[in-house]
Amino acid sequence: MRFLTFLLSRLVTYILVIWIGVTMVFLVPRFLPSSPVEAMMAKVAAQGQYMEAAQIESLRNSLMETFGLKGSLFQQYTGFFKRVLLTGDFGPSFSAFPTPVSQLVAQALPWSLGLLLTSSVLGWLLGNAIGLFAGYRKETLASKALEFLAMLIYPIPYYIFALVLIILFTYVWQIFPFSFYIDANKPLSVGLIKDIVYNSALPALSIIAVNLGWWVISMKALSASVAEEDFVHFARLKGVSEPRIMTHYVARNALLPQITMLAIRLGTIFNGALITEILFGFPGVGTLIYSSALQADYNLMLGTISFSVIAVATATLIVDLTYPLLDPRIRYR
Amino acid sequence: MKAVKRHPRLVIGLVLVAAFVILGLVMPPFAGHDPRDWNTFPKHIKPNPAHPLGTTGLGQDTFWLLSYSLRNSLILGVLVGFFATLIGVTLGVFAGLKGGWADRGLSLLMDTFIVVPSLPILILLASLLQGRATILIISVVLIVFNWPWPARQIRSVALAMREREFISTAWFSGESTLTVIRTEIFPYISSWAVGNFINTVLVAIAVESGLAVIGLSSLQESTLGTMIYWALQYQALLAGRWWWILPPVIAIVVLFVALFLVSSGYTQYATAKRGR
Amino acid sequence: MKRTMCSVLMVLLICAGIAAGGGTPVGTLPALAPSAAWAQASQGGKMTEQGTPRSETLVMDQLNGRVANARLFNPYLPGVEINNGLKPLFPPLWEMDTMKGEMFPAVAAEPLKPLNAEFTRFQIKVRPGIYWSDGVEFTVADIAFTIQMLVRTEKLPTSAYWARILKPDTRMLDKYTLEIQTVNPYPRLQQVLGTTIASNSFRVVAKHIWEKQDPTKFENYPPVTISPYVLKSNDPNGQWFLYERRPDWQRTDTAMVAGEPKPKYILYRFWGPEEKRILAAIQNDLDILMDITPESWDILRDKNKNAQAWLKDFPYAAFDDPCVRGVVLNTSKVPYDKREVRWALALATDIQGVSMATFNGMLRVSPLPIPPTTVLQKTYMFPMESWLAAFALPDGYKPFDPSYAEAMAKKLTDSGIKGVPTDRAAIRQLFGVGWWKFDTAQAAKLLQGQGFKKDARGKWQLPDGKPWTITINAPNNFEVQSMRLAFAVADSWKKFGIDVTVKQLESAPFNSAFQTGDYEADVHWPGCGVMPDVYTNMDLNWHQRLAVPNGTPAAGNNSRFKSAQVSAVLDELGKLTDKDPKVVPLTTDFFKLMVAEAAWLPMFGTSKFVPVTTHYWTGFPTAENPYEGPWWWWTGMRYYLTKFKPTGNVK
Repeated sequence: MRFLTFLLSRLVTYILVIWIGVTMVFLVPRFLPSSPVEAMMAKVAAQGQYMEAAQIESLRNSLMETFGLKGSLFQQYTGFFKRVLLTGDFGPSFSAFPTPVSQLVAQALPWSLGLLLTSSVLGWLLGNAIGLFAGYRKETLASKALEFLAMLIYPIPYYIFALVLIILFTYVWQIFPFSFYIDANKPLSVGLIKDIVYNSALPALSIIAVNLGWWVISMKALSASVAEEDFVHFARLKGVSEPRIMTHYVARNALLPQITMLAIRLGTIFNGALITEILFGFPGVGTLIYSSALQADYNLMLGTISFSVIAVATATLIVDLTYPLLDPRIRYR
Repeated sequence: MKAVKRHPRLVIGLVLVAAFVILGLVMPPFAGHDPRDWNTFPKHIKPNPAHPLGTTGLGQDTFWLLSYSLRNSLILGVLVGFFATLIGVTLGVFAGLKGGWADRGLSLLMDTFIVVPSLPILILLASLLQGRATILIISVVLIVFNWPWPARQIRSVALAMREREFISTAWFSGESTLTVIRTEIFPYISSWAVGNFINTVLVAIAVESGLAVIGLSSLQESTLGTMIYWALQYQALLAGRWWWILPPVIAIVVLFVALFLVSSGYTQYATAKRGR
Repeated sequence: MKRTMCSVLMVLLICAGIAAGGGTPVGTLPALAPSAAWAQASQGGKMTEQGTPRSETLVMDQLNGRVANARLFNPYLPGVEINNGLKPLFPPLWEMDTMKGEMFPAVAAEPLKPLNAEFTRFQIKVRPGIYWSDGVEFTVADIAFTIQMLVRTEKLPTSAYWARILKPDTRMLDKYTLEIQTVNPYPRLQQVLGTTIASNSFRVVAKHIWEKQDPTKFENYPPVTISPYVLKSNDPNGQWFLYERRPDWQRTDTAMVAGEPKPKYILYRFWGPEEKRILAAIQNDLDILMDITPESWDILRDKNKNAQAWLKDFPYAAFDDPCVRGVVLNTSKVPYDKREVRWALALATDIQGVSMATFNGMLRVSPLPIPPTTVLQKTYMFPMESWLAAFALPDGYKPFDPSYAEAMAKKLTDSGIKGVPTDRAAIRQLFGVGWWKFDTAQAAKLLQGQGFKKDARGKWQLPDGKPWTITINAPNNFEVQSMRLAFAVADSWKKFGIDVTVKQLESAPFNSAFQTGDYEADVHWPGCGVMPDVYTNMDLNWHQRLAVPNGTPAAGNNSRFKSAQVSAVLDELGKLTDKDPKVVPLTTDFFKLMVAEAAWLPMFGTSKFVPVTTHYWTGFPTAENPYEGPWWWWTGMRYYLTKFKPTGNVK
């Protein structure tokens, strides 16, 4: 019964958070000076077309109508929710009018998900493994060296780190492809998968390397403190072998906060990885979000960020619901 | 010397931080000119006695620009770290202890800010401020997006603590919530709060640098991130002008190392002091 | 636990692969057949990733980045990207020869012929023998259809504009001759229907395809075209577009006007940020580059001996780009409504220092509100030299300084730059006819005459006692020359004692602030032209009928400049055709008025760093071979292709 009320109240919060989040994304851009019409005018101007005054004026006047931005804010708001909830249609993107937002998102999302899912999980696994080892044997030189190394890599600005990787591994030593090229027209085959892996390896590596630092450092701190706990000493006295203590006693407990962090981190992969996409030419969701914000493309912003909002909210929901399962000391509240 | 032997991390960390503080806060007034101004000196000069770190492609002295940028980055980091931690911890404790509607409302607020991605909002705000973003404004925005993280953590700690005896004792003896917070809970989490503060400083500087590199930060002010931005704009990396691009990068790395040493050193020191 | 993790990961990876491969909409264009590609590769030649021989492919930089919707080739929809190769797919009726400064017939067979003295009826004659890429013949029926479609489809964004100019009633005299009518007298109709700068907006579409479609929704993919190249395949994510030469390329205007376009394939490719484009060019993976910074050019020049800019030596860049850049002031705002204040700002600018700070001195100066291209300098700047030298402000002060060119040449030579010309005429041709003196004393005098005062710290105060602050709107990370110009000018004015801030904006807010008058100073470029007849652009930017209050987006005259005299001269010019002998004298009068008013502060022409690499292709236009300018993003680019030659390198 207790669980049920908790579940219910948590679900209500979940829906409320998503609703508030999406509303915020709906409202904030509309109160800002930049509008999709102006953004389109700027884009047309930047394309190097020769236009007369009358043409500029007529274009501007018609865009309001074309973009469907007439009507009061409330009308647009309710219309938006009705459309999305009933048909899942986020409308046309303004900056790439009349392409539907769902088409753009469907194109970009699988790439971001694929790359970020694998690199986040790999980075988490590797980082925690290293951190566990470093924290368990925290007095050794190896441990200190590992921690120091992680500390050095973590704060390097990602743009520089990725750029150096590109210069080193695609230009100086031509191991990886210089520019992202996957002929997605090809049918699914081993060749296509090989292409994908080959092209995604370096971006994945850059993300893993940068995330690694944080997982190593935090896991080291966590496992070091857990290793001090009484039950670990007790296990040692009982005669349990060191490796077993490390993996079954210390790791299991130290991993708990790391799992919640991972869950939330996974939620944020729907944000894409903007700088990775810019530098590696990766066709992901990050650049969609970025350009939608720059060009005040309301529909695209809502389409992409809604996914992100739902993903992160869901991640936190799952964490909240399952954490008590993992740690029996916490009770449902 | 005994202190160094016993708490090497903390001491080394503090020394490094002190060095940065001197470089960043004490030295800039001695520059004799505004390091941000373009064309004060000839461009692209390698390091020499007159210019210990050479000059940039904009005709600025790299050394003085670095110390000026360091000042701005430090101010930004400390502002964000301090206020985000303060607000986060206070609201988190309040929510955890009070429970009920206060807790529900605050939790909702926290979760909303966690759930909405900050980058697009930052871009939108940059267009609202129309490039007039100062260090202060960026700090405010970063504070707003960073307080929920400590708040959430502290809230669960406070929730757990609510059950513990010494709290109930204090409550039953008639102390008000605020006093309970101040006298019983705060010492318990203060070391965590210090750790969080330092971490938030790092996150703030890292986020600002990340934004600066794509040109979204305040480009009128100079921070470590914007220094890197200008260096990249002028292709310092490809052109091999290491004296322009390396100093800010190394500064960020060493600053982090210093702050991290202080943070973990302090944790060790605090646990040692508590006698565990 | 670790084992389950590993298996989960494998599943995820495979899922991602399936999603990426199968989820994206597959175009109707298949990739190059494997056997052909293998055959070519086995001959030892390098292949592009798309499977074409590198020695037969011209690789071009994709100007505006990755295209969001790679299937959109309908030029009349607002979200369409035209710099991925779409522009040359729509050859215009008339093209612009930037070297001569006049238009010539491209798809049309002769210039647009006015049929009456009121300029309301015209005749278009097209070349016979042009065929669409699907085999249907191109006739004026396509032009008539396009006009009707534009005028009658009200939902098309620019429909209202076309309806105001053209009447939908046309008369086909025969397959290749069409009579059209305009709503009002329009002597310059050819400039609207053809390409004057970069491209035009009147793009003829295929009647037999478009009449079955709804033009407000039609994707036009793959596009049917009368250009010699067709879209062969493209990346669904918009990173590259491959075009192939038609087997019947002789049936196009390109072949009839210029000859055989040599590259068999053209690849538009987006490489990423500038660093990656440079690296690609260093490796000879990129033949034609769009705008790069001078620093990147230095690196490219150093690392790739095949890299070639417009000029062989300093200053390398092409200076004939048709827009002039400087600082625009919002003349409806105090104190910029006073011409004395505008003149003071001009005289307070250390133009030589600004040139060095912006592009290391690689800039050509312009005292008139038009770009200092070769044609325009010959028509206006040099003939007006004596007038400029004699021009005096009301108090008798003569502001013109003709020594800019020689001073810059000396400064650059002294700083160790090699290759600066020594011949006086060459120096002046290169660096410009001159600009206004750098005279802070005179500037101060002008300001003090208006009631400005310097305070104790040496900073200027407005007549009402408040400190004088100026905010200069500048682009953020695009239009690099203007961005750097803003900082350089701010620096100059700061040293003069004004409190200047540079406000950097992204593209949309930069544009909208300019159009709504939400600025004090802005580094825009309201002065473009190629031909001696610059009426259309000058009218767009300076006629007072277009000046609207601040807050309302303007269609033109963004600086809200009001001058009855100037507008009257513009009205006079509007009545003439572009070839009328009165055009040049009247335009000169216009410039004299503009200079006296200091309507804005034009400073430098655009210096274009758009180099090429010559490992696989030669025959590019350069200063030694100036058959055209390096305008890779113009529709006229397709004519250059007839002059390119493969070098014979296959690796």
